[in-house]
Amino acid sequence: MKRLLTLIRAGLRSNFGLSILRYRLFVEKKDRWLVPLIGFAAIGVLPSIYGLILLVQNIYLALKPLGQERALLTFGVMAGQLFIFLFGLYYVISAFYFSRDLEFLIPLPLKPFEVMASKFAVVTINEYLTVMIIVLPVLAGYGVLARGGPAYWVNAVLVYLFLPVIPLAVVSILVVTMMRVVNFSRKKDALILVGTVLLVALGMSLQFLLGRTGRGGLDARAMTGFFTSPDSLLNIVGSRFPPSIWATKAIAGGFSASGLANLALFVGTSLALFAAILALSEKLFYRGLVGLAEVSGRRRSLTRAQMSQRVSSGRHAVRAIFVREWRIMNRTPIFLLNGTLVVLIVPAVFVLMARAGSGRGDAGSILKAMSSANPLIVILASAVFMVLCGSLNGTSSSAFSREGRQFWISRVVPVTAREQVAAKFLHSYLVSLLGTITASVVAAWLLHLNVAQLAAAAGLSLVAGVFLTSVGMMIDLARPLLDWTNPQKAIKQNLNVLLAMCADIGILTVLFFAVRFAVKAGASAGTVLVLLYAVLAALSGLGYSALVKFAEKRYREIEA
Amino acid sequence: MIELNHVSKSYNKGKVKAVDDLTLTIKSGEIFGFLGPNGAGKTTTIKLIVGLLRPDSGTIAVEGLDTEKQSLEAKAITTYVPDYPNVYERLTGLEYLNFIGDVYGVPKAERLDRIGKWLELFELSQAVMNPIQSYSHGMKQKIVLAAALLPAPRVMVLDEPLVGLDPRAAHSLKELMREHCDQGKTLFFSTHIMEVAEKLCDRIGIIDKGRLVACGTMEELKSLDRTQESLETIFLDLTEK
Repeated sequence: MKRLLTLIRAGLRSNFGLSILRYRLFVEKKDRWLVPLIGFAAIGVLPSIYGLILLVQNIYLALKPLGQERALLTFGVMAGQLFIFLFGLYYVISAFYFSRDLEFLIPLPLKPFEVMASKFAVVTINEYLTVMIIVLPVLAGYGVLARGGPAYWVNAVLVYLFLPVIPLAVVSILVVTMMRVVNFSRKKDALILVGTVLLVALGMSLQFLLGRTGRGGLDARAMTGFFTSPDSLLNIVGSRFPPSIWATKAIAGGFSASGLANLALFVGTSLALFAAILALSEKLFYRGLVGLAEVSGRRRSLTRAQMSQRVSSGRHAVRAIFVREWRIMNRTPIFLLNGTLVVLIVPAVFVLMARAGSGRGDAGSILKAMSSANPLIVILASAVFMVLCGSLNGTSSSAFSREGRQFWISRVVPVTAREQVAAKFLHSYLVSLLGTITASVVAAWLLHLNVAQLAAAAGLSLVAGVFLTSVGMMIDLARPLLDWTNPQKAIKQNLNVLLAMCADIGILTVLFFAVRFAVKAGASAGTVLVLLYAVLAALSGLGYSALVKFAEKRYREIEA
Repeated sequence: MIELNHVSKSYNKGKVKAVDDLTLTIKSGEIFGFLGPNGAGKTTTIKLIVGLLRPDSGTIAVEGLDTEKQSLEAKAITTYVPDYPNVYERLTGLEYLNFIGDVYGVPKAERLDRIGKWLELFELSQAVMNPIQSYSHGMKQKIVLAAALLPAPRVMVLDEPLVGLDPRAAHSLKELMREHCDQGKTLFFSTHIMEVAEKLCDRIGIIDKGRLVACGTMEELKSLDRTQESLETIFLDLTEK
């Protein structure tokens, strides 16, 4: 047990870079500027959290008169667990199979279940941080509004602590089994990609299924019962996912017999699944892991003619660097999953959420009604959706970090910082463009946009994309993470990616308030759009030239 | 030619002096061997020459080009091989060589000839279409060397280039180094292998605690030591704690 705790502690230290951060903050005193920056970033997301709390309050007040307010907790727990299920896949695959520390752990006299348990702990703590923004406003909001006593808060904390265990254990069982199969093959990278996409599809189907159940349950017969039982909505929502019902009853029931019984059920199931994954790890974990990094290549010589075909005839440096970025990103499964594929998966998740969460065409009809009152809303809402789908991936904010220990090559080659940044910008922007295109298709379909609305929204998103890509790259350039040993750290666990996302949300919030101000001041839809285009174009121009200037300075300073 | 003029570099806000007032000139056509104990400042000096680090004071010039003020021009005529072959593992060997050819602007005909020659010499012809990820340490070292030779640079800076090479490849590299300098070009390399330095280098520099403690031809170094013994003995004497 002591050995396991030591292993978990070492895993947490290495994963969150605590020792390095302490060294850089207090010994080298290099990263002190990060403290106010993280403070600003936190302030940047405050409006979004405030919005979420208001939403929780409104839903609570709407459900309370019907006696259905406990369903709010079910929604919160279920949303958190589904989120963990969907995005936990990335964490689990990279933590269990792609951390470099595994190379040191495998030869140590440790049992597979101990290594697995330490990795599971790291992923679980990651998930506490990830779903905090979704689940905590619900738990805290409900607790305050329902005047929950100490029993409420104690059970809420316990449920939150065990919240990631069920989805992560299910994901782990799927991943460990998948990797056992993958390790048979020579085309491991391709299989990992296909397998992950399939698992994501499975997660989304599950979400779709759960959403459909919620909607389908509300027929005439259910509606009659809906008003007669205080927990009818809760039961409808959670019918296909009982843990969310147990969690709700455990939190709301406090220390009553029902509360404690449901808590025992929730915690007991979590522990049982955790035990199952540990038992499975003894049999399958090392078999999927050992030899995974082996890459075999066929040995064959090229004739002079074949060589002549393959030797390039001299690409421009910008093109050569762009091709390098493209190849490295697409051939590293972790980079591809967290960068390029995210811009395809996120719009698809929105489709499923919209189709599953409301009646057929509901979102479209609501927006249609709104747009007849003010056509600006539908354009701006679509543009925000496209920007989020295009820019909220880690491609630009890990553009330099992804080079890792190979950054020395970029420093010694005779290519200006301006050209290197141009190539990286083109690559990041292309990924963002891919997201905008996918989101445009989704928006056009879900929101029934006409051509003019679609063009206006996509245009805004594309112009905003230049600015946000530049901001993301500047954030990464200020503090590139080059000494990573696990590609996961360069993109998924890179603080720069989180900072850039906060900055993006902050920028969008400022723009939102600016537009609201303009509308309140009586500006017409056309004027607001023209102003918005002008401001974004100016910001994009300024942002890109600031990026180039900053790169010229940083490429001389970064010591590789 | 490489010229270091009163170059100093320290780490940790001046607490650790890695290179201390180093003045050194390596002439064209010369193989210069740089020796020193671990942590003496060899790699720091090399990184300063190729522009990976900036000196706290002093200037560095390559073929008369200031590496700070004319960095791009200096980089265009210099190639570097680091002490550990960290290269793009997801690219194939040929893709990496193509990338280097592109950024150094090597014309296709010359590129084709040189790639064929270096691949054959380093016995990489059969592996060049495979991802570098699948290479052994020695093969990675060889692909970095082939890439450094591809632009036919005026100046080559190599940090312990023989580590990890098999005897045949090490022999070929030593011949290549001689050939490179016989064309009037410059080669600066660090090593811990005394025999190589003794036999291959036109001049040798010994650095200890960031300061150049000796520099000259083998004969000049021997004259410093009355016993006239091997380079190893001279090295041990000069770098004694």
